[in-house]
Amino acid sequence: MLNAIDKKLLKEVAELEGIPKGAYNIRKNGELMGREVSANIHIETNEAGNGIIVTIKPGTKNESVHIPVILTQAGLHDVVYNTFIIGDDSDVTIVAGCGIHCGSSESEGHSGIHEFRIGRNARVSYVEKHLAIGEGEGRRTLNPTTKIYLEENGHAEMELTQIGGVDEAKRVNEAELGPGCSLLVSEKVLTEGQQHAESRNELMLKGENSRANMVSRSVIKGNSNQDFYVQLTAMAKCFGHIECDAIIMDNGTNQTMPALNARHPDAELTHEASIGKIADDQLIKLMSLGLSYDEAVNKIIQGFLGE
Amino acid sequence: MKGHVMLELKNITFTVPGADNEAPITIIENLNYTFESGKFYAITGPNGSGKTTVAKIIMGIHSQTTGSILFEGEDISKWPVSDRAKAGIAYAFQHSARFKGLTFRDLLSISLGSDDEDKLAEVIARVGICSLDFLNKPVDAKLSGGEIKKIELATVIATNPKLAIYDEPDTGIDLWTIGPMVELLKKEKEKYGTTTIVVSHNKAFLEAADTLILLRKGKIVYNGNLEGALPMLRDLSICKFSDTCEGVADVECYR
Repeated sequence: MLNAIDKKLLKEVAELEGIPKGAYNIRKNGELMGREVSANIHIETNEAGNGIIVTIKPGTKNESVHIPVILTQAGLHDVVYNTFIIGDDSDVTIVAGCGIHCGSSESEGHSGIHEFRIGRNARVSYVEKHLAIGEGEGRRTLNPTTKIYLEENGHAEMELTQIGGVDEAKRVNEAELGPGCSLLVSEKVLTEGQQHAESRNELMLKGENSRANMVSRSVIKGNSNQDFYVQLTAMAKCFGHIECDAIIMDNGTNQTMPALNARHPDAELTHEASIGKIADDQLIKLMSLGLSYDEAVNKIIQGFLGE
Repeated sequence: MKGHVMLELKNITFTVPGADNEAPITIIENLNYTFESGKFYAITGPNGSGKTTVAKIIMGIHSQTTGSILFEGEDISKWPVSDRAKAGIAYAFQHSARFKGLTFRDLLSISLGSDDEDKLAEVIARVGICSLDFLNKPVDAKLSGGEIKKIELATVIATNPKLAIYDEPDTGIDLWTIGPMVELLKKEKEKYGTTTIVVSHNKAFLEAADTLILLRKGKIVYNGNLEGALPMLRDLSICKFSDTCEGVADVECYR
């Protein structure tokens, strides 16, 4: 039931060689293609019929769920609302991602809203990759929204990657952290050609001793453009850090706007931001080890984007 | 291979444009030198004498304004850095590059041309100044000055160079590591016949060298053993005119 294009997309966005073991939900061209639940992970279609609800039983440890989306149908703009309810004391990995194959001049797109309700002492690792491939010239758009609500002592790591081929992306990340919670958002975006990507992030540190760390790495090639906004708001004694680096190549443009907002006297908020070309000393070091200029550039970019 | 010519610098001059409409500034002036294969050279001299510039010209990081460079008889004057590296020249930077997202393992694998775990372990053992758990360290701004210098050294040795250039290898290194580092470079020279050039002020490296080259104002003012250079080095080490010196305004100052 998986054709060659489907397999390639699944491999790229969810590191799947075929149908995964354990719980999964694969959505293709706006329809359910396959679903499997496990003893601890339940998946059901939501009432509105526009997405799924993934429920993880309290205490579930070391289990994973794959929920990739693939789009290969010209002219389709798929919209989903998925909810993840993560039980107390659980420790799980969720692998999402959307792969678009565009074979015609008609546009294709996917807008996914993922809402996470993370219980007490629960740990979630969320990995999401976006990729568009294909010979067609239709615009490929991906507009993901992530909403994260962390209860007491919850911990979430979000790894959000846009690998390439996406013409337009508008990402929104929102998070609210309760007491003792921690959140690491790591976003990596590569744009080229005439592509545009925008990322808006609102992280709210509500609980005492909560911690948030937002790391953004952007590579902007060709005539592409990326804009990055993040607002870190502290409502309690907490710690927050923003680190955003953009590498500009060719004629790329970038706007980076980190904002810190302390609403409590014991808040500790920091940020560091940089925009620039690949540093000469990095290139020369790698060339002095025998790499050509182009090989050195690729190696630096690969490392920077954690590939 | 001892006694064979490894590298020849012929009439090397390096100038940089002067500020505004002023005349170009000469950093290296008509420098000629022949480095023999399998020997250990130390280049020393006062700050601003052109030591690092000569080293960078050999590696191709700076291009000489005039003159030519012959490596094993071949004219490499116009070769890019990568080609010189492939030919067997390696360079340890005084200020090592720091990356975001690359580990010591990544760099060492490039040097070796392989990410084979056994080969990585072998080269770590050969270098001997850092442990295996160094491999997964990100080569970023968080590394201490000493750690990054060890990584720099290892990435150079791992290329198995015919000619290794070390620019101030002891910067940031603790006192206790300098001895082993000197021994390492000597061992590399003995065991693998590596022609070694160290740019340094450190006596430990000057003592280890077969030949000492003293640069001043872009010219070689001494070439020989350390003993013969000592009177000049002492003379250069302390400025006797500090009470009357007015800095750059005193252009006649011999330093």
